[in-house]
Amino acid sequence: MQALNSESGEIRLVNLTKKFGETVAVKDINLTIPHGSYCCLLGPSGCGKTTILRMIAGHETPSSGEIFIGENMVVGLPPVQRGTAMMFQSYALFPHLSIRDNVAFYLKMRGVAKEERRRQADEMLERVQLAHLRDRMPAQLSGGQQQRVALARSLITNPRVLLLDEPLSALDEFLRLQMRGELKALQNELGITFVHVTHTQPEAIALADMVVVMDNGRIDQAASAREIFNTPATPYVARFMGAQNVMTGTVQGMSNGVAFLKGAQGVSFEIAGKRDLKAGDTVSFAVRRDRIATHRRAKASGPQPVNAIVGRIDAIEYQGNFVKVSIDVPGLDSFVANVPDAEYFVEPIKPGDEVTASWNREQAHVLDEVDTGSSDPYAAS
Amino acid sequence: MPSSLERRPWTFYVLATLMALFVLFLYGPMISVLILSFQGTSASLSFPLRDPSLIWFDELFNPTRVGDVPGAFSRSLPLAVIVMVLTVLISVTAGFGFRRRFGGAGALFYMAISSLIIPGLVLSIGILVTAQFLGISASWYGTALGAHLTWTLPFGLLIMFAILGRLSPSYEEAAFDLGASRWQSIKDVVVPIVFPGMIAVALFGFTLSYDEFPRSWLTVGTKNTLPLEIWTMTTNVTSPALYALGTTTTVISFLVIALALGSIILIQRRRSK
Repeated sequence: MQALNSESGEIRLVNLTKKFGETVAVKDINLTIPHGSYCCLLGPSGCGKTTILRMIAGHETPSSGEIFIGENMVVGLPPVQRGTAMMFQSYALFPHLSIRDNVAFYLKMRGVAKEERRRQADEMLERVQLAHLRDRMPAQLSGGQQQRVALARSLITNPRVLLLDEPLSALDEFLRLQMRGELKALQNELGITFVHVTHTQPEAIALADMVVVMDNGRIDQAASAREIFNTPATPYVARFMGAQNVMTGTVQGMSNGVAFLKGAQGVSFEIAGKRDLKAGDTVSFAVRRDRIATHRRAKASGPQPVNAIVGRIDAIEYQGNFVKVSIDVPGLDSFVANVPDAEYFVEPIKPGDEVTASWNREQAHVLDEVDTGSSDPYAAS
Repeated sequence: MPSSLERRPWTFYVLATLMALFVLFLYGPMISVLILSFQGTSASLSFPLRDPSLIWFDELFNPTRVGDVPGAFSRSLPLAVIVMVLTVLISVTAGFGFRRRFGGAGALFYMAISSLIIPGLVLSIGILVTAQFLGISASWYGTALGAHLTWTLPFGLLIMFAILGRLSPSYEEAAFDLGASRWQSIKDVVVPIVFPGMIAVALFGFTLSYDEFPRSWLTVGTKNTLPLEIWTMTTNVTSPALYALGTTTTVISFLVIALALGSIILIQRRRSK
């Protein structure tokens, strides 16, 4: 497939705000999405991610701020002039038109003659391997096929930006994984900018060059998938990505780049820091669930070890290649250790057991914000 | 499953009997009229049927003894068609208007719907009195047309609101996204999608108007519509021509319904092929 559009598909949002009546859906956002990248807007429902997408698409007008695509300020322009095409969550295929006429709709609106638009539509359907179904009606296609038709219908407009609103949410698990791969391959092939809204972390991690984690109309972190997953900026991002334990302590002192902290329950932490922390600072840090080791607690415990937390096993969940061990630790919302299954079954622990969970000081990652004991990321905001 | 478990509960038989009685009550009289409209020259108004013939149908259209049936028909049919067209036009455009919430939308909606609960005869009197006051003479194409619209529009509005309310706005957005103008998105996307609903509205408009008696009663002026003509005939015609008339009008109603349903089925089939 040739690159469809040579114009730049860089998207720049400048001080973008959207209010619906009294509610502020998007709060003064600045973001640059590089040309040709796969960007995922990630966040719980109601965080403003879809509103941003719809503003880029031109289906929603910003209350204030600017949107640039390439060189152009596009606020006020219709979608076609922006060079964007949107794929709707439910695909919004026109139920009264055949697959071919759905794909040809854009050309029909532009007054392209019937023969020519059918030829082009057939060509596009060929690309998504649906040419044999071109005379079917949308209702007769499976979810995955409908999605491909929606893709073809969007791509025929020759966009420089493709906007996808929860494109995989209507599919079952198997198809979701398959279409996820196809989307990524398609983006590689076309080389245009994809902006993909999702509330599913693995989807964002798997697809995106750039993940934008949102909460309550604000961007918490915009970075590569690896960065977001490994070194989250805020307690919210750490929790939302679901692979981190967040803890808080007060700095007691520094020595050789190692910070010594005291936690709320008198637990001692050490962080091998690159950061200049000062004594007296309150700091939150995150440790990946799969970097935590668990041991049954010895009866006669000596002096409290460093970077070790004591708790009672709350639940055990076998996940195949690892075992998710939830530990009830006084003073923490949640604490989870993902133990490799081979390791776990050497000395299985059961709910109710007292355990010590420990980690190396190199594994602790200091967060930009102090944890305020924020709520469940899935709670409606 | 063992057959003993498949025995139907006694409620089934009660409900089935009720349903049978209902159907009998619904279609029995109609079928009686249908049969008796083929009565022979004996001119008996009741069973049994003797020497079946078509003379009463002939009589209908050669009004020697009965009323002015062809004349009444020539008013009722165009009236029903005009009411149908206006109902569709107004209901659909109002439906579009109500898709976007505006101030007073609720009040306006209930005002439009409330004419459903005003008794037709009262409305008929009211329209006549108002028309006289304004110096307008009652006619089938004037006052009666208005009276019929007060009856058909609430139904049309309710149907269109239900259909357009369920129509996802993403269809129009998708059309806009693909470069359609507002007019193109209505013409090429929304109207085709809601077309079956528009046929339903048309059907209601036509049949409600074609059958309407109370709202026609005082508003048609000096020339009767068909339901009024039939009513007049029941008081002074004593021949099976009455039945023939009943059969003819019922057949016309059924034809209209069949036409409408047929076109809906045709569209659905085209969509699912």
